[in-house]
Amino acid sequence: MHRGCGSARRRQQNGGIVNLKGFFVATLQSALDLGIAVPDDVLRHVTPDVLAANLPRPLWARLLTACVGAARVDAQLVVETIGVPNLCEHVPAQIIWGCIEEIGLRSLAGGVAMATSGSSSLARSPSAASAASSSRPIPLATPPPPEPRASTAPPATVGPSIPAPVTASTDVEVDSVRSGRLPPGGRFRPSSTGIGRLAANNSARRPQVQATPPSPPADTLSRAKRTQTDADFEPETYVGNKDDWKNALAVEDEQLVDWAASDETVSGGGDELSRKR
Amino acid sequence: MSNDQRQAWFARVMESGLENDIFAPGDVLAHATPDVLASHLPPELLSKVLAASLAAGSMTPERVLETVTPDLLAKHLPHEVLWQCIAAAAARAGVSKTVGS
Repeated sequence: MHRGCGSARRRQQNGGIVNLKGFFVATLQSALDLGIAVPDDVLRHVTPDVLAANLPRPLWARLLTACVGAARVDAQLVVETIGVPNLCEHVPAQIIWGCIEEIGLRSLAGGVAMATSGSSSLARSPSAASAASSSRPIPLATPPPPEPRASTAPPATVGPSIPAPVTASTDVEVDSVRSGRLPPGGRFRPSSTGIGRLAANNSARRPQVQATPPSPPADTLSRAKRTQTDADFEPETYVGNKDDWKNALAVEDEQLVDWAASDETVSGGGDELSRKR
Repeated sequence: MSNDQRQAWFARVMESGLENDIFAPGDVLAHATPDVLASHLPPELLSKVLAASLAAGSMTPERVLETVTPDLLAKHLPHEVLWQCIAAAAARAGVSKTVGS
């Protein structure tokens, strides 16, 4: 005899005394805590389509945020992010009960909770929920084979092969002491382009092309000459060609002047000298 | 899944069902009939049930479950019996069409 057959329904109809969702929360949460069920069991019933139809937008936002920031998105992340109370609150009771029923029947049959590794319930079709009531484990799709990964060898160097640092450049140190500044090695990480290091290990150097000093542009020279003329006139500071100065100083014999015999020069110079005085 | 885990889970489900009025003590005893109790409860527990009823002057389902707690139910009774109780309650609540499969 089933004495209390209609009592629960009456209580539910008379004012919602039955806390069905609380019962679901306790049942489902304890099943997960005790290992009776795994999150995949939940998502086999509470499919993404079910969540899309029933979960409020704020919870969806929370779920998406968690999924975006997670290294791996799986059923455990979904269940833990949403939370069993929220699932039982928003997902239809029939679906939650379907999940609990599967867990219970499987438990009676002595089955084990399905492993979560390698299964992504998010990619499962909603039709899988129809087969969830059976206690038989549902074969899960095998994960795709891992992509061939590149070898872990260090990447080929693009620049020139520079030997490992041996000692710091003494020139840099001397200059640093003189100038009162710290050597670069003390302030920055060791540079791999030290000149002294290259000199110390000269045998390891590769043949290199002779570097040609860049010729100063004409514009720069003329500008530098103008500025020097304005500040301090030194006409012989810059000599463009080695033979120019010789050509400029070459004097013919007829151009020479006998200063002692020249009256004009003496008188002219004397007048001018006396005038200045 | 070990038997301890399953037992703990059934105990929790029974406790939650009673707390949330999913089923009443009378609903539990509708499945955990006197024959079932007598067949599976250990003698000392049967003795306690009888002693409590004698002290109170009556044996009600509530009083039985005060002695035979959900933990003891899950420990001694067949889980199929408890599941039938749970499934029947779910059917009454309208969330399941099957009754105690």
